[in-house]
Amino acid sequence: MSGCDNAVEYVYQYLDDELTVTRRTRISWHLKRCGNCLNAFQFETSLKKKISDGGKTEPPEELFDTLRALIEQERNTGDSDC
Amino acid sequence: MADQANFENDAMQYAPQLYSAALRMTRNPADAEDVVQETFLKAYRAYDTFTEGTNLKAWLYRILTNTYINKYRKKQRRPNEVELGELQDLYLYKRLGEHSGAQVSAESEALDLFVDEDIIEALESLPENFRLPVLYADVEGFSYKEIAEILDVPIGTVMSRLHRGRKALQRKLWNLAVEHGLVEPSE
Repeated sequence: MSGCDNAVEYVYQYLDDELTVTRRTRISWHLKRCGNCLNAFQFETSLKKKISDGGKTEPPEELFDTLRALIEQERNTGDSDC
Repeated sequence: MADQANFENDAMQYAPQLYSAALRMTRNPADAEDVVQETFLKAYRAYDTFTEGTNLKAWLYRILTNTYINKYRKKQRRPNEVELGELQDLYLYKRLGEHSGAQVSAESEALDLFVDEDIIEALESLPENFRLPVLYADVEGFSYKEIAEILDVPIGTVMSRLHRGRKALQRKLWNLAVEHGLVEPSE
């Protein structure tokens, strides 16, 4: 397997920081010498960041109040059972 | 063991993330709120079984996931059977490169083609067994081990679904760019 094939195979584990130190070091070493792979890795890093940012949605403002009220109600129900 | 009296203090900080994840799961704000409410209620009731100092966020996500599955998976018979077909590595990177006729750089405007709505549409288009691992890894930042615990599957399964799910997500993003007329279809 070429250094490039090896790097691409492990690209996600590399970005997710889920590789053994040995394998990570080998891939970092390859990226220092291979502009094409480095470029692809940087693209995947940016995409991951974009998905992380874009995939989040703020909750409606009243969510906290609803949850607090729900727990309060549950707490009172629980007490009366005792 | 955790004290139920501290539940609100400990858990409320995760409500926005749980809501966002629930919304990606259910694809519907009213259902997402339902799932989060039920999750909080179950978590509150079970809080005295939670071991203090362990991973509260993962524990809450596990309850969220189970709540979602129990509530919504009944509608689908065999949700785990969905397959995605073979997809090329670095799918989007290669398509965008072919399209521009040059190597796409991470700093280039290539990714600016996509707005948040595209990311959400692409995430929500994934079949559930691929969507949840991608959501947990890329949006929520969980480790493979945490995802395995949340979904109650082996780590190897998490890795293969994540790998395939991410490629499918990239294909969807490319298809969206084509649909929106931002790029020419390849071939």
